[in-house]
Amino acid sequence: MKRKIMSVLLAAAMVTSMAGCSGSDGGAQTQAPADTPQQTQASNDAAPAETTAGDTSAEAPAETDAAPVTLKWAIWDKESTAYWQALADAYQKAAPNVTIEMVDLGSTDYMTVLATELSGEGSDFDVVTIKDVPGYATLVQKNAILSLDDYIKADGIDLGKYAGTTDQITVNGSLYELPFRNDFWVLFYNKDLFDEKGVAYPTNDMTFDDYDKLAREMTDTTFGSQIYGTHYHTWRSAVQLFSVLDGQHTILDGDYEFMKPYYELVLNQEADGVCRKYTDLKAEGLHYSAAFSGGDVAMLNMGSWFIATMISNLESGEYDADLCGNWGIVKYPHADGVEAGSTLGTITGLSVTAASDTPDEAWKFVKWVSGEEGAAVMAETGNFPAIMTDEAMNIITSLSGFPTDDASKEALNVSNLYLEVPYAENVSEINSALDSFHGSIMSGEMSIDEGIAAMNEAVQAVIGQ
Amino acid sequence: MAKGLSRQAKRDLVAYSFIAPNFIGFAVFTLVPIVFAFALAFLNWDGSNPITFAGLDNFKQLGGDIFFKAALKNTVIYCIGTVPLTMVASLALAIILNQKVIGRGVFRTLSFFPYVASLVAVTSVWKMLFHPSKGPVNNILHTVFQVPVDQLPQWFSGSLVLLSMILFSVWRFMGYYMVIYLAGLQGISAELYEAASLDGANTWQKFRYITWPQLHSTTFFVVVMLTINCFKVYDVAIMLAGGGSGELTTSSTVLVYYIYQKAFIDWKLGYSSAVAMVLFLMVFVVTMIQFRGQKKYQS
Amino acid sequence: MKSAKRKAALSKTLVYIILIIIAALMLIPFIWMLSASIKSDRQVFQMNPFVLIPDKPKWSNYHDIWVKIPLLKFVENTVFLTIIVTLLQLLTSSFAAYSFAKLDFKHKNTLFFAYIATIAMPWQVYMVPQFIMMRKFGLNDKLLAIICLQAFSAFGVFMMKQFYEGIPDELCEAARIDGMSEYRIYASIMLPLSKPSLATLTIFTFVNTWNDYLGPLIYLKSERKKTIQLGLKMFISQYSSDYGLIMAGSVLSLIPVLVVFLCLQKYFVEGVAATGLKG
Repeated sequence: MKRKIMSVLLAAAMVTSMAGCSGSDGGAQTQAPADTPQQTQASNDAAPAETTAGDTSAEAPAETDAAPVTLKWAIWDKESTAYWQALADAYQKAAPNVTIEMVDLGSTDYMTVLATELSGEGSDFDVVTIKDVPGYATLVQKNAILSLDDYIKADGIDLGKYAGTTDQITVNGSLYELPFRNDFWVLFYNKDLFDEKGVAYPTNDMTFDDYDKLAREMTDTTFGSQIYGTHYHTWRSAVQLFSVLDGQHTILDGDYEFMKPYYELVLNQEADGVCRKYTDLKAEGLHYSAAFSGGDVAMLNMGSWFIATMISNLESGEYDADLCGNWGIVKYPHADGVEAGSTLGTITGLSVTAASDTPDEAWKFVKWVSGEEGAAVMAETGNFPAIMTDEAMNIITSLSGFPTDDASKEALNVSNLYLEVPYAENVSEINSALDSFHGSIMSGEMSIDEGIAAMNEAVQAVIGQ
Repeated sequence: MAKGLSRQAKRDLVAYSFIAPNFIGFAVFTLVPIVFAFALAFLNWDGSNPITFAGLDNFKQLGGDIFFKAALKNTVIYCIGTVPLTMVASLALAIILNQKVIGRGVFRTLSFFPYVASLVAVTSVWKMLFHPSKGPVNNILHTVFQVPVDQLPQWFSGSLVLLSMILFSVWRFMGYYMVIYLAGLQGISAELYEAASLDGANTWQKFRYITWPQLHSTTFFVVVMLTINCFKVYDVAIMLAGGGSGELTTSSTVLVYYIYQKAFIDWKLGYSSAVAMVLFLMVFVVTMIQFRGQKKYQS
Repeated sequence: MKSAKRKAALSKTLVYIILIIIAALMLIPFIWMLSASIKSDRQVFQMNPFVLIPDKPKWSNYHDIWVKIPLLKFVENTVFLTIIVTLLQLLTSSFAAYSFAKLDFKHKNTLFFAYIATIAMPWQVYMVPQFIMMRKFGLNDKLLAIICLQAFSAFGVFMMKQFYEGIPDELCEAARIDGMSEYRIYASIMLPLSKPSLATLTIFTFVNTWNDYLGPLIYLKSERKKTIQLGLKMFISQYSSDYGLIMAGSVLSLIPVLVVFLCLQKYFVEGVAATGLKG
């Protein structure tokens, strides 16, 4: 009995000590953001009566003589992604006192890895890249990243430049990341396949019916010389997000009846051999890039990040130019009565960590990368910056390797952009539930109705918590 | 007396010095986390913010959680399928390989291959062999057995995925438990069989009345180890059935996957620990039942 | 008599047929693996006709796999981990087991009970709190974490203790009378005698560590720290359609475990039998 009591006490002591630690952590973390702007204000206040000349002289040394700072920055796939190094180099040139140290956490499970890195103490990251919204929600709830509101106000950043995306990631009125990259979904197609068949290319204004018809027209089920009219990657987004383009529904609704027509569209296509089977893709884990570059897929709905991949892999010879070298893009198909050019966006942002010793320096970097200077660097590497200026657009469309037809250029004009996943408190769990039942529907484990009913039940349970 | 005591103390010290290197590591990295795991199940914690007390809330929530229920159901089905099949297969193999057959060393080695081979490697081969449209298995079903293309089995989804996992596990673990049975068989005295032969017992009778009872404690060990190993299935599921982003659907999700997901994706550490407690309880109960049965049998 | 002979011959044939079928089931996946590893992606699934060795074997797969992913680094990490864990496991387990089997001391039963009680406890039950603790120690994304995790198992101690109990106490008593210290007895008498069980424990530990997936998945985050299993999985998700390459990587990952197993297997059955693992 005594022993039992001891062990209970021991457990209790352990738990309280851990609670104590993290409690004080939490305190420190929430204090940090409040402190820093005050400090900067205080230092400004310290020389209140000085002239503007004095001000500039006070600032100037800060820029040149500033103590060397090293910012540790979490990224993924350094080798295969061109812009990390380009951004770091350009910023180091702009701010010579800063050294950017990149840490590659790999793209698989990036946000999971990052969340483990940032929970509790011991992390020495200053700036972290935010890959998706569920992961962002986790970090915000863990108080692992700072609210940028005070910085944004102090530096007068106009959030209007971000085309409304920042509204969809605002948490209780506060913003914790600033986007620097904004990808949106378009329709890629293989021109050679259309030419061979003598079918007209897809256009920038297609309804889902047009798209379905076109995909079926392109399909050839002859064994040995199969052509797939279209391709859907195994991601939930590739199917479900068709249904939110009308702007009336979101992924967070809790009632997913509106997805039904799109599951029917895709599953009917699958049954007729218009696209590869989900179960096959799952069994072999076929990557969409391998599918499209294999030259037997006429159309592919995918994010604009794939443009840079196509350009660089065709140039390096990784993809066979005879199979997929002649490609183009058009706007996403749309539902009847919805404006063409409505599409889905995925933003990539930067956050300042709560654990950073130099949050002010980290913020400067975030501001720079997400601002016009960073946007130019992004565009030069073929990527879409969050601030889409005409200049950036021109840089991308005039890259060598970008499709030369006008439709492909026009395809980049987005009219409405909806985030794949907007912020919600339990977005991580909603996301897992939707992922899971998407798999069930696509693999035929559940009928569309069963799957949607299960989604409704699971998500409502999460929302109701 | 004092001298005796100090000698005893000295001996204790020597004994502890032997134990210390292992025990310290064991206590810090196993015992402490176990105690913590029990406590965590009654708490709410996301790994960063202050811990709050949850009481039984985490356990109450389990009842309404469809993913948990699916995971529990699949894990149990997987165990019920895998444990007896593996046991029978490994026992049969051990009995055959305990006879004087040519090349039995080679056969023993071969049957151990799947166990030592890396899981990622062998699952990727299985996924190729059982590929729903291109794999040789379905190819044979189609060309030899004339199964229409649209009725070919989908080995990695729906109702067949658990069967695939079970078959794969039997294949993988058979050799391992075969070795344990082989060791057990070698402990049975040859005289018993000779006596039985003199009495005119046939092969089945010898098995029924000598081999099986003599192997009872081995079987106990095998079943307990198998049960524990089956309940903690994770990597087989994720590698054979993992979907587009690696997630498992309700037809293939298992308890350990759910523990992992709740802890490291959703950061509900308390809830995750509650699921872990269910896992522990299942293993504990099965082991206890086995233990009771074993004792009853022996007495 | 004749019929009995015939019956015996028949049952022998039956046994061989069963054995051959089983051997085939065991081997086919590996043969497929080897065959696919020297094929191009298009040849891998070619069925009519199926060729075991293509006309122009694509040996370059075995070269490319080292270039496409840092396989060498993964191998280094895995070899390092496996060797350290196995050595630590052998050393500390046999050390502790000797004490439990051959020495008398206070709280012996209590301490041993702690080991026994956790044998049936799946690691997955406490992996989360263990991870939290390790992170507090600053072991997140360190190879050392995997060593701490794997090196001190209750199973090793239990197994070695069972074996030592089978060695007559008189042997130790005689040595003690000769004035040998306990450490000498352990080193010069017990260790040499325990080859079979050490070999068995080596195989168990080696295979477990080499093939562990969930442990490294939780602890090892940066690419330079990854093990072969994680690396292969990563490669599969990135180069999904390069079947030949995936298979070449898989074949390479099998070689070390197979070598260790083949070297030690002659002790194996003996070891399992002697350690009373059979129950």
